[in-house]
Amino acid sequence: MDAKDILGLPKNSITQEKKSRPQKDSQRKPDGISREVYALTGGFPPLIPAIEASQLKKRPPSDEKITWQWLPFTNSARKDNLHLYHWVRIVNGVPPTGDYSFAKYNKSVDIVKYTDEEYEKYLTDPMWTKEETDQLFELCQSFDLRFIVIADRFPSSRTVEELKDRYYSVARAMLAARAPSPGDISGHPLVKEPYNVSQETERKRALSMVLSQTKQQERKDAEVLAEAKRITESRMVARGAEESELPVPSNAGPESAERAAIPSDTVSPSANVQHPSAAVAPSTITVDNASILASLRMLRVYLRTYALDQMVQAASSSAGLRTIKRVEQTLQELGVNLKPRVPTKAVCAEHLELRREILTLLNLQKQEAEGSSYRDGSYGDTPGTPKHLSHGGDQDRIFVPDMNFAGERIGKRDQKRKAPGRLSEAPLPAHKRPRKLKAADL
Amino acid sequence: MINSSSSKQVGQDQQATSEPRSPRPKIKMVKSEESDKRILNKKLKDVEISIPIVYGNVSFWLGKKASEYQSHKWTVYVRGATNEDIGVVIKRVVFQLHSSFKNPTRVVESPPFELSEAGWGEFEIAITLYFHIDLCDKPLTLYHHLKLYPEDESGPMSSKKPVVAECFDEIAFPEPSEGFLVRVQNHPAVNVPRLPTGFTLPPPVPFEDANRKKRGDTKDHPLSQWFMNFSEADELLQLAAARQQVQAYLAKLRRQISMIDGQHQQLKTISDS
Repeated sequence: MDAKDILGLPKNSITQEKKSRPQKDSQRKPDGISREVYALTGGFPPLIPAIEASQLKKRPPSDEKITWQWLPFTNSARKDNLHLYHWVRIVNGVPPTGDYSFAKYNKSVDIVKYTDEEYEKYLTDPMWTKEETDQLFELCQSFDLRFIVIADRFPSSRTVEELKDRYYSVARAMLAARAPSPGDISGHPLVKEPYNVSQETERKRALSMVLSQTKQQERKDAEVLAEAKRITESRMVARGAEESELPVPSNAGPESAERAAIPSDTVSPSANVQHPSAAVAPSTITVDNASILASLRMLRVYLRTYALDQMVQAASSSAGLRTIKRVEQTLQELGVNLKPRVPTKAVCAEHLELRREILTLLNLQKQEAEGSSYRDGSYGDTPGTPKHLSHGGDQDRIFVPDMNFAGERIGKRDQKRKAPGRLSEAPLPAHKRPRKLKAADL
Repeated sequence: MINSSSSKQVGQDQQATSEPRSPRPKIKMVKSEESDKRILNKKLKDVEISIPIVYGNVSFWLGKKASEYQSHKWTVYVRGATNEDIGVVIKRVVFQLHSSFKNPTRVVESPPFELSEAGWGEFEIAITLYFHIDLCDKPLTLYHHLKLYPEDESGPMSSKKPVVAECFDEIAFPEPSEGFLVRVQNHPAVNVPRLPTGFTLPPPVPFEDANRKKRGDTKDHPLSQWFMNFSEADELLQLAAARQQVQAYLAKLRRQISMIDGQHQQLKTISDS
């Protein structure tokens, strides 16, 4: 406001503020619930209102009489007949019936029970005494087969796997003993999938090893897997290029996928060939055009656009990202579609050649510009004296003062000033001459 | 030179390979590739046949009859680029629609390979082409984004003129079987390259497909008036012009560099002496 005073702007802007503020308020206030409650939902109206705002104030239904009473209750899940009190919602003078509502959650597991004779007959084991087995079963009963807890509470130190093994073998033996015929219990999970101690110990050990792998180990594993994948891929290329029968690579697909634990998605027979990102072609690492063609031939069928993408990728694999962008920019300047609109074989071939030529042109320009920039650098000081003679890196030319310091520039492109790759402007010697002379005059 | 090495190879192949289907073995033929100058003379090129296709959709706004969930009536299809019958190559097409459609997997068993539906939303349709078994037993999938709304969002929607989105592509079969070549050697939908001299195919046996009772080409299709034109010649001209320009710049640049080099050499000799 002070600024406006200083600037001498009209003062009616204050009244404008006051007017806009109440408008905003009424816009934001919801109806039906207080503003703070509304703010809990995020403060903004949801896209689809889950609860009608009016609903929040509507209840309760008016024709019922609701009272609350402090009444005693019992819990059928308890064994000690404890009487406690709690608030009960009475509707029209009728208290609710039924058991305590949480009693139904008192579930427990049915543990196998054996008598002493049965123990003598079926369950004796050299590794386990009767005492220990009895203790185990007591704990199982009280802790609902939570073996981790049971192993913790077990008086003598036994591993979780040992306890599980003992319990399940006892249960299986009891089942077999009590069943009228062996066929009856053959479907029971205890019989069908018996607990395998050694397998379980091994599995848990492997899991803990994986969990405790350091980052370094993880990286090494990933590297090894990637290397193995690359080796299988290159083997596939070699095999496919030699053989004349096409079905072999695709048949080898499922086998190789199972053979190695390596995810060799490159040889899956049902892979969709067209999508460039599917990378069905054996190797995108090789740059050679001939190998791209070989890999294309290995596919039974492919789309022309896919083939073009592969070749373009191969051609530009030697160039950096910036160069690729410059190629695309040049294509656009020439009025050529980046992806040909009618990709026939001939069109794709022409497109590829055009890309290659542009790449050559850009590389040549870059080379030339580097050379010229060295030369330009020398003219920044005094004309005729060569500076930085040691900059021989990229150029084969010997650094000799050029006659051009007073004469004409032969179309050098100033890479530093202008965006690279501008084909549309021709080099203008006259344009550049005055600038360089000024620098030289200093 | 190419011919002599090829005949040797052809002989080898005839001994080595055997085809279960046709009586003669799969013969590899030589074809010169002008665009690929790096290919060694020894390497063989096969006869690659290609089928130019166009796939896409045409969508009509229903105007007054539009409801919230059915605002457009659209047809997605795959057709031959010159509207010829591609049923000789493609056995069936499966269109996988958005899961909100009932039975989103739609199978079309005979040409014209198209599917019409009504809806309101744009989504990606997966079009899987299944070829005749003697040609290729692997399917090929294309992806097309259904276009219902025109590019110019602000303009009025007309229920007379549809929104058309088509895409051109070519399906290439690098090593077709001889039986298939025989079948399609003169079919207008298939591009068969020129066979090398000395190689002849037996006369074609008429192929009867039980499914194809109605005509499969789309020349007189009701939607054919909206089909887009894809002219290879235009694109080739454009590319040729661009290439000429680039080549001219390249030549000019090379001349300049050689001039500078020449000057350098001149100065060097002057300063050295």
